[in-house]
Amino acid sequence: MSDPSEATPQGRSVIHDLGYRPYTGQRLGAGAIARSLVVTGFRNAFGLGRSGRSKVLPFVLLGLNLLPALIVGGVMAFGGLDRLPIGYAEYASTTQVLLGVFVASQAPVLFSRDLRHGTIALYLARPLRSGAYALARWASLLAATLVFLVLPIVILYAVALLTELDVSDQTREAGIALGLAVLLALSLAGVSGVIASWSTRRGFAVVATIALLVVANGIVTVVQGISGEEGGRPVVGEVAGLFSPYSLYRGLMAAWTDADAPTPPSTTGMELAYVGVLVALSALCVGLLVARYRREATS
Amino acid sequence: MNRTIFRLSAQAVAGRRRGLVLLLIPVALLVLAVVIRLLTEGDVGVDATVGLGFSLALPLVSLLAATAVLGPEVDDGSIVYLLAKPVSRHVIAVSKFAAAWLTTMLLGAVPLAVAPFVLDASDPARAVALGVGGAVAGTAYTALFLGLAALTRHAVVVGLLYTLFWEGVLGSVLTGVRWLSVGAWGHQVAHALSSAVSDLRISSGYAVVAAVVVTVGTVWFTGDRLRSFTLRGDE
Repeated sequence: MSDPSEATPQGRSVIHDLGYRPYTGQRLGAGAIARSLVVTGFRNAFGLGRSGRSKVLPFVLLGLNLLPALIVGGVMAFGGLDRLPIGYAEYASTTQVLLGVFVASQAPVLFSRDLRHGTIALYLARPLRSGAYALARWASLLAATLVFLVLPIVILYAVALLTELDVSDQTREAGIALGLAVLLALSLAGVSGVIASWSTRRGFAVVATIALLVVANGIVTVVQGISGEEGGRPVVGEVAGLFSPYSLYRGLMAAWTDADAPTPPSTTGMELAYVGVLVALSALCVGLLVARYRREATS
Repeated sequence: MNRTIFRLSAQAVAGRRRGLVLLLIPVALLVLAVVIRLLTEGDVGVDATVGLGFSLALPLVSLLAATAVLGPEVDDGSIVYLLAKPVSRHVIAVSKFAAAWLTTMLLGAVPLAVAPFVLDASDPARAVALGVGGAVAGTAYTALFLGLAALTRHAVVVGLLYTLFWEGVLGSVLTGVRWLSVGAWGHQVAHALSSAVSDLRISSGYAVVAAVVVTVGTVWFTGDRLRSFTLRGDE
């Protein structure tokens, strides 16, 4: 079978020749399609390029997420503190509800709509492979999540530098927070993407994602709280921390910065296990996404 | 109350995937209670587990149930066939509320009574009190989320922001939020029935009245919204 995209300059198109002038410009390949899909997806995650009403939610969430950082900036400027009242890494842990709601509500925008309305067939009819489509969507969500996580860190860092805190200390702490943010974003984008592509009802996908993230975190917190008490067994809490992205983040945050959390990983092996679980979870979710869209392409 | 609408709504709630997640939340809570009971002694963890149930499990269950009876129908537009029937819109709203309410009671309020009983069987009065408190809060939550589902397509997200952000994050920073927090009303009712439940210092009369006003008001509002319903396209 010849490639239908190879319309020739001589006017012989492959399917029909109705005498119209064909497109004779340069044909861009799968790479260009994937790139533009990532950019469009990233914009769509914030409602850009969509209707005005769909911009409201992501920007309200983003605004609420940035508000504490701006308030910290004001306090730093007028209060004359000699350290940030909230750590860079601690910030995402404090606003995790907003982060969860953002990821959960914007994942269906990227993953559910094409599946529910059947427009996925149009994408897969192009030279783009189903796996590349899944990866492009995931990359968009990851980028949007990162923006959500990194912007407050940037604001806090700018505030710290402008109030002339120690540059090397602040840079080191902000760097650790950035690394943690990447790990958290990887896992959140993966989990919410898998759920959104599994259940194409938007409302349901949102609650299922939140239920998984927040309820798992709540259960882990209860277990950690009990095992971290006097006479408890902190090891139980450390192991329990492996079972939710938020508690993994919290554990690593407590291990790598001077922030507090119940039963942080106490050994290097446990820290490696925390990082390993986060990475493995993300990889597993990406694998599931690729498999999901491959099935869609072959069915 | 229309039995056919009630039956169809109940089926929508118990649908395959949604039913699964709905069931998972209380099961997770009870498994947690059993595990804590087996691994510790005394009444360790009652407060933490009950807090988890009140602040997360109950609102999530009622949110899932309340949006299940209205959300999908509005999303795919099939609600017009229901609205075209010669049934009062208020009857539709009440029937749908009944289906969601029953689910919330079974999967939200009952586990809230069972979990403390599993953790500490020596105080059944507290378990019953928490169950009643959960029933009060669950009723108001369900009605509130049903009203949201009739008001906006983003009912789920708005509902989540209300429970997790307003009641959860802001409620822990600004103590005055408890006066406008459905979960706190239920908690206060539980305290009025058993002094083993912590006191949130809202008058229990206010809590009951507020819950009733919210429930009746939002169910009526749902019917009223359905009376003048316009379908909008997907964004």
